[in-house]
Amino acid sequence: MTTNQKIVQVFLTARIKQLVAAVLSVMFGISMYVFMNSFMDGVNTFQSDITFSAMSHIKIYNELKGDPRAIITRNKADELVLVSNAKNIRYTEGIKNIDEIKKGLKDINEITGIAAQLNQNVFIRNGVSKINANLSGIETQEENNVFGTAENIVQGNLYDLDKRNNGIILGTGLAEIIGVSLNDNITIQTSDGVSKVFKVVGTIETGAASLDRSRALVNIDVARQLLNKNKSYATDLMIDVDEYKNATDIAKSIQPLTQYKVEPWQEGNAQMDSGELLRNIIAIATSLTILIVAGFGIYNIMTMTVNEKIKEIAILNAMGFNSKDIIEIFLLQSIFIGFLGGIAGLVFGNIISRIIDNTPFQLGLLDSLPMNYNPQDYALAFLFGLVITFIAGYLPALRASKLDPVDTLRG
Amino acid sequence: MKALQVQNTNKYFYTPTEFHVLKDISFEVDKGEFVAIMGKSGSGKSTLLYLLSTMDTSYNGNIVIDGTQITGQSKKNLARFRNEHIGFVFQFHYLLTDFTVLDNIMLPALKLNKKSKEEIEAEALELIDLLDIKGQEHKKASRISGGQQQRVAIARALINSPAIIMGDEPTGNLDSKNAENIFDLFRRFSKERGQTIIAVTHDDDFAANCDRIIELADGRIV
Repeated sequence: MTTNQKIVQVFLTARIKQLVAAVLSVMFGISMYVFMNSFMDGVNTFQSDITFSAMSHIKIYNELKGDPRAIITRNKADELVLVSNAKNIRYTEGIKNIDEIKKGLKDINEITGIAAQLNQNVFIRNGVSKINANLSGIETQEENNVFGTAENIVQGNLYDLDKRNNGIILGTGLAEIIGVSLNDNITIQTSDGVSKVFKVVGTIETGAASLDRSRALVNIDVARQLLNKNKSYATDLMIDVDEYKNATDIAKSIQPLTQYKVEPWQEGNAQMDSGELLRNIIAIATSLTILIVAGFGIYNIMTMTVNEKIKEIAILNAMGFNSKDIIEIFLLQSIFIGFLGGIAGLVFGNIISRIIDNTPFQLGLLDSLPMNYNPQDYALAFLFGLVITFIAGYLPALRASKLDPVDTLRG
Repeated sequence: MKALQVQNTNKYFYTPTEFHVLKDISFEVDKGEFVAIMGKSGSGKSTLLYLLSTMDTSYNGNIVIDGTQITGQSKKNLARFRNEHIGFVFQFHYLLTDFTVLDNIMLPALKLNKKSKEEIEAEALELIDLLDIKGQEHKKASRISGGQQQRVAIARALINSPAIIMGDEPTGNLDSKNAENIFDLFRRFSKERGQTIIAVTHDDDFAANCDRIIELADGRIV
């Protein structure tokens, strides 16, 4: 221990109450920072989990262009061409050959999963009740890989769809509306008039009510057969990437590989993106404010300490300690307070987070407030805490080093 | 080589109004000399002492201590110089009250960092013996009597064996018995160790036994 560190130790331990107050103020700031950010992180994760339980990060589909080509073009300047009520004609439906696209996507490393879907609006009949539903033909393995579908299955088993070609899984809301339960039979009727009887092998609940009220899942091959489509036909290719925030850039790199529309999730869900950003801003603004208030606390305490120690500073100066030593002595006190408060704050913040995490709070799908335990939040909280205590301690220390010892010693 | 040379030194105070405190001061002090600075209050004797102490640097003139030019040096160098060559004893003990007696005495030597902690402690204990404050070394500096505190302050001033010991009314706050003791100590240091002693004092008895008296009146040496 250097001489200056020894002086710091004596100064700090001589005023335990003050030390505790200063450490507590830092601890409170840091723990609130940790808690706020853990909470907001949790909310963001929860939100994106719900969103991406039915939506992929990138979707490839056959887009119906809204701008019809001009049927007749004008030849001469004095001609007038008038076509009223021009119609769009869709020449192709869906994606004819998904295998080719899948092969092309193999080289893109960011992609973590690709699931083909064949989506079609159908009628579901159960006796007299008849309801519009969205039939999804899915590749079960890949679908589970992208959406974690198996986790949302309430009854039955997702992979039963592979085992029997008349198996269907219904959204819980949908099953309730048409009044069927596990192992009941229903009839699917396509817009082309084809009918087929299916057996309910499971129910699924994602938490998004509109989805649960309209969705029916079958094996993609069964759907192709029902709709009279070829072997590698699909309407949508759902793609997951390693970092969903980068979906826009990855979508741009995929677009040249296919003539179909490649759409990142952000395009249709700007509200989610901005919602997340807003929550992060609120969290950081609130917690930084708390940290800064804690910083003022330290500034006050250190200023008081310097005022109390004017005589000691002058004595040290007379004994041959220079201004660098004085700055070091007072700055080290603040850094020690920041360090101690920082560690206590991380622990206390973690405790608050765990308490809130385990407190029952019924809200929709939630049993308690969502909470993330992200090491990055903890590291940042600690770093901010140290920076703020450093600044708050440096100013009084600088003032202490500039005090004129002669003024003090002469009384 | 002289212990101290002061040449044509002037000092002004600017607040509240301009005031010429020290007027053209010049004097020299030999090594081992015991000098008292006397004068009425306001005559500038303490101001002069603080110039000599190197803590006050705003003056015109030239001061040389122990062969080293003090005037014009950086604050950092001056702090180092004070640490090594000047021992200071104040009217009030001015100890670091949160520290033990032993720590107070050791601090200047620890700061100088020329000897090991063990050597410094041994020397500090020797000084404690010499100054008759044995048994108090592990008490906090605030817990001992005024006479003892002043002796601790003297021990602190001596720990680095400085060439010059300066005192600002070192006995001004003590009863006559304690004051006499401290005077005798100073006397011994100047005789036995050849240390130069410069003390500002009001005490005529104290001054009468010094080698020389420098008397100030209205900022001039009389």
